[in-house]
Amino acid sequence: MSGPRNAEDRLRRLLVMLPWLMEVGEVPLADVARRFELTEQQVQKDLELVAMCGLPPFVDEMIDVFVDDGMVVVGVPRLFTRSLRLTAPEAFSLLASARAAMELPGADRGGPLGRGLRKLAAALADVGIEATPAGEDDAADETAGVAIDLARPPLTDDLAEAATSGSELRVRYYTPARDEVGERTIVPRHVFVEGGNWYVHADDGRSGQRRTFRVDRIERLEPTGNLRPLLDDDVEPPESFFVDASVPRAVLLLGPDASWVIEQYPVDAVEPVVDRAGWVKVTLPVSSDRWLAKLVIRLGSDVELVEPTIARAAVADIARRMLAVYDDGDT
Amino acid sequence: MAVDRVERLTNLLALLLETVEPLSLVQIAAELDGQYPDKDQSRRASFERDKAALRDIGVPIDTEIVAGGPYAGQTRYSIDRRSYELTDLDLDPDEVRALQVAVAAVRTGTSASKDAIWKLGGALGSARPAVSAVVPARPELPTLRAAVASKSTITFGYRGERRMVDPWGLLLRSGFWYVIGHDHDRGERRTFRVDRFDGTTADIEVGPPAAFQRPASFDPRTALPVDPKEIGVADDHVDAIVEVDAIRAVAVEAELGSERVTERLADGSVRFRVPAGNGPAFRSWLLGLLDHAQVVEPASVRADITGWLRDAVAATER
Repeated sequence: MSGPRNAEDRLRRLLVMLPWLMEVGEVPLADVARRFELTEQQVQKDLELVAMCGLPPFVDEMIDVFVDDGMVVVGVPRLFTRSLRLTAPEAFSLLASARAAMELPGADRGGPLGRGLRKLAAALADVGIEATPAGEDDAADETAGVAIDLARPPLTDDLAEAATSGSELRVRYYTPARDEVGERTIVPRHVFVEGGNWYVHADDGRSGQRRTFRVDRIERLEPTGNLRPLLDDDVEPPESFFVDASVPRAVLLLGPDASWVIEQYPVDAVEPVVDRAGWVKVTLPVSSDRWLAKLVIRLGSDVELVEPTIARAAVADIARRMLAVYDDGDT
Repeated sequence: MAVDRVERLTNLLALLLETVEPLSLVQIAAELDGQYPDKDQSRRASFERDKAALRDIGVPIDTEIVAGGPYAGQTRYSIDRRSYELTDLDLDPDEVRALQVAVAAVRTGTSASKDAIWKLGGALGSARPAVSAVVPARPELPTLRAAVASKSTITFGYRGERRMVDPWGLLLRSGFWYVIGHDHDRGERRTFRVDRFDGTTADIEVGPPAAFQRPASFDPRTALPVDPKEIGVADDHVDAIVEVDAIRAVAVEAELGSERVTERLADGSVRFRVPAGNGPAFRSWLLGLLDHAQVVEPASVRADITGWLRDAVAATER
């Protein structure tokens, strides 16, 4: 937020700041800084700089703005009264975000988001993000070509509601690392979807810590009746919760058909294998030996486990146990 | 004294917005007196950098080449104010707020939607939503979306092969973006994962608009099977009966739906009918259940799984 910024970033921010300032006329410097995610020094420096910009015959009066006693004051606006058009990535990102939000629990399709989305889609023709022109073949297509599927397990809505109210829940949860189902008490704080899976970030009664649980592994839930509203404000969802330096790492060689692993799971490093075309060597965090063994078994001949070699025993053990299930006749 | 680059960029932007006639670099340098280097070559280099920076920010800079007269061949620059300015979206305040909430609830890994909200006069604020989604941004998406909207055929590299496709729609599912459309060479509908396109966005060729008709009532959400176990199976449909033990039966029933249950056994195990036509996807799903599940029939699928497991054991002994 306050690191060095290049000229492009500074101008980009100025071009959104100036039209807004001209609209409001006079506003505390601190508010401007907070709104545009800059320090007060950065705002002041850049505004003082553009105030000096100008061309004959309007030198020094092209952008009439000054900072005085903690207030930003704008005089008669001449230039930059209107925002710059949306770039294609901005328009797409906004459209995709709005569509995604529409698929979240509690979304009101007929509400302001739906109306805003329709106006957005209709007005973005100038960046190639136009609404589908009305035609017979498109009449039924409400997605205008961009669809987002965030299908969720049935319990997701209850968890989202509990996160909003701070309700404590008793849940039955399957723990893959131990391969068992157990009861625990959690207070949901944030529910999110990533990579097609839904997760709940919750205060876990068993560990006393904030943990992330997969929603589809919660088999049952019921409110305990206790309300535990948040006192602090630190429920930032984990940016990428599986990536943690303390988690042990494994090194795998992956064949061409196993490349989905790189996209599906966070990996620290990927490098080509010199003498095997299409193969890559990856280092990835491993939450448990069982998880690693399961992955290796699923990948079959498309994977080679390099490290930790000790996990080979776990792979063989689990594969044998899986085979044992079939040892009743036809094997 | 060297001029701050932000100042020079702002002055250049203002000049090109205000000018009635397109300007040549010589005229620009004269107007921005002393802000560009004197030497032709370094002046041109500085200007090209500035022009690229403005375009990168999204400023549409028009160029025209003088056709005749003493300045024939000279390039002149201007900015059309109508295409510079944001189209008025006519959003009501509650609609802007709803878009802000949407952007706050969706993490894309870029600041593009935040910049968009600022341009619309909104701001994100500090409120944290109780529910959020991670929607991956891919640089190819705006181009692909434009091709879908304009019905332009696209040509792109996919796993080392050039493909020519009429893009009918884009779909985000399971964390991946897909293009769904008609593949010219294959002569049928195909699905492509956007992150598996070869090369960069610049390697996607977009043809002329209105090149195809989208099939009536096409919806990307139903075009791609939800269940990966069903992808790629059109004719050779195979169902397997899978027995899941009591520990995982509840979860599997929640995943597959009760209509797939064929039998409930006394020990709490449940038998399900599961599409197995797509071998790798079925196998991956089944193996994920470890020793909590087994294929009961058909024998061919059963043999495929046991063979696979024996190979896995053998590999650890090498």
